[in-house]
Amino acid sequence: MRGAAVVLLAAAAASVAAADVGGPALDYALNCQGCHRADGAGTPGSVPALAGSVGKFLRVPGGREYLIRVPGVAQAPLDDAATAAVLNWILARFGNDDLPADFSPYRPAEIGRLRRDPLTDVERVRRDLLDAIARSK
Amino acid sequence: MTDERRWIDRFVETAARQMAQRTSRRNFLTRLGSALVGSTLPLLPVARAADDSRLPPPDDAALKGDAGDPKSCDYWRHCAIDGFLCACCGGSQSACPPGTEMSPVTWIGTCRHPGDGKDYIISYNDCCGQSLCLRCRCTRTEGEKPIYFTSKNNDLLWCFGTKSRAVNCSVAVVLGVATKS
Repeated sequence: MRGAAVVLLAAAAASVAAADVGGPALDYALNCQGCHRADGAGTPGSVPALAGSVGKFLRVPGGREYLIRVPGVAQAPLDDAATAAVLNWILARFGNDDLPADFSPYRPAEIGRLRRDPLTDVERVRRDLLDAIARSK
Repeated sequence: MTDERRWIDRFVETAARQMAQRTSRRNFLTRLGSALVGSTLPLLPVARAADDSRLPPPDDAALKGDAGDPKSCDYWRHCAIDGFLCACCGGSQSACPPGTEMSPVTWIGTCRHPGDGKDYIISYNDCCGQSLCLRCRCTRTEGEKPIYFTSKNNDLLWCFGTKSRAVNCSVAVVLGVATKS
């Protein structure tokens, strides 16, 4: 009987292995996840959701640039290549179903150019883009 | 009935009788229940960050001294915590005290486990909804950034997305192992 219990516990332990996290997933965990959360759900009223939302910005004019110019991306303590990688990782993980057919991944040079032009009125730009997304449906 | 069948019957009967003499059904149900509950409890939706704590934490048993004591500021997970340790306030290093709510918004860093030398991803969540615990004050700053990097600063109160902004204590939840690749 003790053996049966041990087998059950061993099976339960084996089903939850410790996760190794590296590359853009680690950069997301250390630089984005604290606010946007592991599942990209954000926190209503405090932090915008990424899941089911971030990919839609690429469907409207100015949206691609917006995703680089937002403070969290433009000011991230990551170099251009790492920032491009984590942004593409976010889009693949949380916005894959919303990407336009002609989507091309972000490249480091594009990140470097646009992050030097940060947004001064994030809320207004975001509101205008959300309106454009709503109209495009 | 064949001889082989009779042999199997006798074997099973003998084994069953021996088991019945050594154990009881109540004993079996107790152990089975313990196994199932023990393996299920960490999956309860206590909080989103606490869900992540179902990952098997690194082995603290081999650590000596304060590095292995969650009630100590020198505990290895506390390398960048700023607040009152929940392990001293009715909670644990990864669970809020009863009556408080874990903030879903947090800041995240890494701490090196002195036993296995690996860098673990640590989420420093505030527990909110009661006044300051005032026990086991701890301030450490490994990897912390100045206030103008707000997402990496631990001087802030991180009770966002909670019913109350009052902070009680802070936990250090292991989210995973940081690797270079």
